[in-house]
Amino acid sequence: MPLLRADQVEAVLSRGHSTRVALDIPPRFRSGQAVLTKNINPQGHTRLPRYARGRKGLVLRDHGVFVFPDSSAAGTGDCPQHLYAVRFSAAELWGPEGEPGQYVIVDLFEDYLLPVGAGATSAK
Amino acid sequence: MSGQHDDPPLSELDLRVRALESLLVEKGLVDPAALDLLIDTYETKVGPKNGAKVVAKAWCDPAYRTRLLADAGAAIAELGFTGRQGEDMVVLENTDEVHNMVVCTLCSCYPWPVLGLPPVWYKSAPYRARAVSDPRGVLAEFGVALPADREIRVWDSTAEVRYLVLPQRPAGSEDLSEADLAELVTRDSMIGVGLPLNPGKTAADAS
Amino acid sequence: MNGGHDLGGMHGLGPIEIEADEPLFHAPWERRVFALTLAMGARGEWNIDMSRHARENRDPVDYLSSSYYEIWLKGLEVLLQERGLVTPEEIAARMAALATDREAAV
Repeated sequence: MPLLRADQVEAVLSRGHSTRVALDIPPRFRSGQAVLTKNINPQGHTRLPRYARGRKGLVLRDHGVFVFPDSSAAGTGDCPQHLYAVRFSAAELWGPEGEPGQYVIVDLFEDYLLPVGAGATSAK
Repeated sequence: MSGQHDDPPLSELDLRVRALESLLVEKGLVDPAALDLLIDTYETKVGPKNGAKVVAKAWCDPAYRTRLLADAGAAIAELGFTGRQGEDMVVLENTDEVHNMVVCTLCSCYPWPVLGLPPVWYKSAPYRARAVSDPRGVLAEFGVALPADREIRVWDSTAEVRYLVLPQRPAGSEDLSEADLAELVTRDSMIGVGLPLNPGKTAADAS
Repeated sequence: MNGGHDLGGMHGLGPIEIEADEPLFHAPWERRVFALTLAMGARGEWNIDMSRHARENRDPVDYLSSSYYEIWLKGLEVLLQERGLVTPEEIAARMAALATDREAAV
């Protein structure tokens, strides 16, 4: 692969490198839906933080389809999938130490999420 | 023994980086002129003044504000700010009900095209640890006290979406020009750990 | 990975240290590490996810006691070594040569 030349720098920087993938994949989840994050503990790269594993949240937004970091870092493929902004209450994340009126929104890939049953209580 | 000491011994890190750079140049893997241009871009051309222009325009132009909240990337690109670490933007609107704060707990993800490179505190462990678990405590360290009933939303940039906070326009700024309004928009207010300056104050007055 | 980088909610890290009028880089070597990382990344031999993993994949003590750009340097060295582009031995040899040159020049 050729080296980055000075005359290419401006174009490369201003173009950037989006990892969004133009694939029309049906989303598994939708805005307003309750989800449960998986409790995974991979040795390799993941973007599901420990504090947000096994927690109930609410999908706020579907950002669209992006390259999946876990597989991308391992060199096993882009595995493109939907990325969601998922909202967790502070109480759900931190228990009694979580204050009311505070929320953490985490950008999470579809592979990190499970549906929550219709009878389950929604996130506090 | 006296003698010329124009060049003090290099630190271990300095020596290591010089060694690495010289090897990469020799192997034809990097172009030294490209390196200098990369540095110059972020030292002189890309910084929070970009984001301040976006915010000031949103304060002045309701149609722009609507576009910015609907498709931040396209609206920010209207002002010519695009590129690396800002390819997929979302703007978060502060209101009387909601205050937004942005962090990257896992590394240092930050919207470079509108804010430049992040400050050391943003990339360091204390902020990354506590922004998500004690946002009011973090705000207090930045000298910000929000009303007790204000909802706080902390956005953890765990993927490639990059967030920019759109602060509320300060009271008493109705008569200011767009350029003057941009002067009130601090970098910290666009991360969500600060509020914009009040009219009549300069950055030097801000505590 | 459950590494030292996964910091959300951790306790005991102390106050947020805010430096007034902070410079973009705190030493010339930081500037070079920044540029080298971007320039090598643009070649496409690795992607951003691989580069993040190279930074975080270490002893948590190493991660938490290194400065930001030290971590970038360490990550870059790992990526280069993994692909046989630059070895630790080459770096050590070049460091020794550069140090000798500087001593000779004094």
